[in-house]
Amino acid sequence: MNPRLRLALTLAAVVAGLANVALPLRAGDDRPDSLVYLLITIIGVGWSFVGAGLVAWSRRPENRTGALMVAVGLAQLLNGLLFNGVILVREPFAFALWFLLATLPEGVLGHLIAVFPDGRATTRLQRVFIIANYAATVPLALVQLLLVEPGRLGCNECPNDILGLGGRDRYGDVVLAVSDLSLAVLTALLLWIVVTRWRHAAEPRRRSLAPVALVGIVLLIVYMTGQTLKAVLPDPPLALEVGFNLAILIALVLWPLAFLAGLARTRLDRSAVGDLAVQLGEALPPGRLEQVLARALHDPTLQLAYWLPDRDAFVDAAGRPVELPAAGGDRAVTILRHDGDPVAAMLHDATLDDDPALVRAVAATARMTIQNERLQAEVRAQLEEVRASRARIVEFGDAERRRVERNLHDGAQQRLVSISLALGIARSQVGATSEQEIAVALDDAAAELRLALAELRELARGIHPVILSEAGLGPALVSLAERSPIPVTVTAVPSERLPSRVEETAYYVASEALANAAKHAHATAVSISARRLEGELLVEVGDDGVGGADADGSGLRGLADRVAALDGQLRVHSPDGKGTRITAELPCGS
Amino acid sequence: MRPTLLIVDDHPGFRSLARKLLEAGGFEVVGEAANGHAAVATARQLQPNMVLLDIQLPDIDGFEVTARLADGEAGPVVVLTSTRDRADYGERVERSGARGFIPKAELSGAALRAFLGSDQMR
Repeated sequence: MNPRLRLALTLAAVVAGLANVALPLRAGDDRPDSLVYLLITIIGVGWSFVGAGLVAWSRRPENRTGALMVAVGLAQLLNGLLFNGVILVREPFAFALWFLLATLPEGVLGHLIAVFPDGRATTRLQRVFIIANYAATVPLALVQLLLVEPGRLGCNECPNDILGLGGRDRYGDVVLAVSDLSLAVLTALLLWIVVTRWRHAAEPRRRSLAPVALVGIVLLIVYMTGQTLKAVLPDPPLALEVGFNLAILIALVLWPLAFLAGLARTRLDRSAVGDLAVQLGEALPPGRLEQVLARALHDPTLQLAYWLPDRDAFVDAAGRPVELPAAGGDRAVTILRHDGDPVAAMLHDATLDDDPALVRAVAATARMTIQNERLQAEVRAQLEEVRASRARIVEFGDAERRRVERNLHDGAQQRLVSISLALGIARSQVGATSEQEIAVALDDAAAELRLALAELRELARGIHPVILSEAGLGPALVSLAERSPIPVTVTAVPSERLPSRVEETAYYVASEALANAAKHAHATAVSISARRLEGELLVEVGDDGVGGADADGSGLRGLADRVAALDGQLRVHSPDGKGTRITAELPCGS
Repeated sequence: MRPTLLIVDDHPGFRSLARKLLEAGGFEVVGEAANGHAAVATARQLQPNMVLLDIQLPDIDGFEVTARLADGEAGPVVVLTSTRDRADYGERVERSGARGFIPKAELSGAALRAFLGSDQMR
C-alpha cells in the first residue's frame, strides 16, 4: 500500500475523530453522557475500523477487506462529524443531508461482512445483497424524507412535506412498514450468507474467520433482536433502545479487533514452517509428504501433484494423472518451480492464497523432499504404464489367436469339409452314373481345394510374412503394397537388412496403418516410406482419407505398445478431413 | 421306406452338398433350415425321423435346439455335426440328449444310418 495514502487516511481519521469531540465542546455541550457516547463512536468504532483496516490493507494489498474496513471507519467518523456540525447550524436542509447519509456506515459495514474474508463478491447471492443493501441506505432515506412526517423518522428538524403533498402524513405508515421489512430481510440474508460461508469453509479459512465471525454473528443477533423488538413493541422504553445501541456499538468496536486477532492467528502458523523443517529431516515414507504439508498449512484437503516432463502432465505419488483445478474456484494451485521448470503443484484451499508468503515458505522448505518424491512418482508412473502395456500386449495376443482360429474355422476348414462331401458324392456315383458326372464332381472338389490353399496361404502370411524374414523389409513392403486393395506407393525402403525385431515392427506398423486406411479412413491413396536415419528407422505411412483416427483406439494403442517395446515412439497425426499420418521412430542400435 | 431327414446349417453350400450326398446314401431329405428357431418350427411341422443339426448357428446353438426338440413327445433322432471335432465340445455333446455326433468331413449316408439302428428295429 502506498505510504502517502496510508498517512493521508490516518490523518483524516485522527482529524475527523478529534473534530467530533471539538465541535460539541465548542457548542457548549459538555454533558458527560453525550461525550462518552461520542468517545465510543469515535475511538471505538471509527478509529478501530480505520486502524485495523490499514493494517489489513498493508498486509494484503490485493484483498479489498482492508479498504472496506477503512471505509466503514471513515464513514462512521464523518457521519458523526456531520451530525455535530448540523446541530451547530440548525438548518432544516442540513438535517436532511445528515439524515440521507446517516445509514451509509451500516451499508458499507453490511458490504464488508458479506464479502469477508475474500474482499469481493464471489456468488450471485452476495452481489444481489450488496446492491439491495446500498439501495436501503441513501435511496431509501430519500424516499422516507420525501413521504414521511419528519418526527416519525427521529429527525424533528428535517424539512416537512418537501413535495407539497399536503401537511398530512399520507404515506408514512406504508413507507415505514416497507423500510422495516426490507431491513429485516436484508439482515436475515446477511446472516444466511455468513452462516453458509462458515459451513463451507475449509480449516485455514475457519481459523482466521472464527473470531471475526463470532463477533459478527453476535452483532447480527443483537441487531436483529433490537429491530424485532422495535417492530413488535408499539412504544419501546428508552432504556431498551439505548441498551441495544450500546451493545451494537461495543460489538462494533470489538469487530475490527477480532479481525486483527484472525490475522494474528495466521501469523502464528508461520511457526509451522520450523516444525516442518524438523519433520523433513527424518526420512519420510512415500506419500507422507502430502500429509505433513497438509498439517503445516492446516489444510487437510491439500494435494501434491508431481510434474512429469515426458508425459507433459501432473501425477500423484502413486503415478496416477491429476487434473489441476480451474482458476477462480474453491481450489487454488501453487506451482513449485526449479530453474523455471515446474517440479510439482500444490492443490489447496483457495483461502491460502490470502497468505502466499506462507505457502511459498512451506514449499521452499519442502523442496528437496518434493524433488525426491517427484522422481519416485515418475518411476511409479513409468511402472504403471509398463504394467498397462504388458496387460494390453497379452490381451492383444489372445485376441489374435482367437482371430486366427475363427479364420481357420470359417475359411479353409469349411472348404475342406465341402471337398470331403464332394468326394463322398463322387464316390457314391461310381458305377451309378456316367463318368461325365463324376468328373464334374471331382472338378468341383479340385476347385474348392485351390481356394482352401489360397486362404491358408493368406492366413499364414498374416501370422508371419515369409518374405520379410527371407528377403527383408524392402521387398516385404513392396509385396504388401502390391496386394493392397487401394493404390500404395512405396517411396523409400532401407537398402540393408535390419535386426529382425525392427523389421517386423516396421512391417507391422505399415500393414496396420494400411488396413486402417482401407477399412476406416476410406482412403484412395497411401504412401509408405521406411528410411534409415542416424541410429533409427523412421517409418511413415500417410493417407488421403477422412482423418480423425483415435490414437487410443485398440488398433493404434496396440501399435504404440509394440513400438514402445523397442523403446521407439509412435505419433499419429489425424486431423478431421485431412488424412492420417502415422510415424514410427524405431531405434536400431548402431 | 427311406428314413426322413431335416438338415440344419447356416451355410447353403453345405446344405446342398449334404442333401445330394445323403439322398444318394438312402435318406429322404424332407426339409432344410438355416437357423435354430426355424429348425425347431420345421421339425415340429414335418416330423422327420432324424435331424442333422449343425452346432454353430446364428441364433440359438445346436445344444439349445436339441433340448427344445426333446421337449415334445416322440421327438426326432438328433445327430449333431460341426466342422470342429467332438473333442472341441467336451461333455456338452453327451449331456445334450442328442443321439450322436458326426464331424462334417466324415458325413455319409451309412454313417448317419448307423445312428438310426435301434429305432428301425422297433
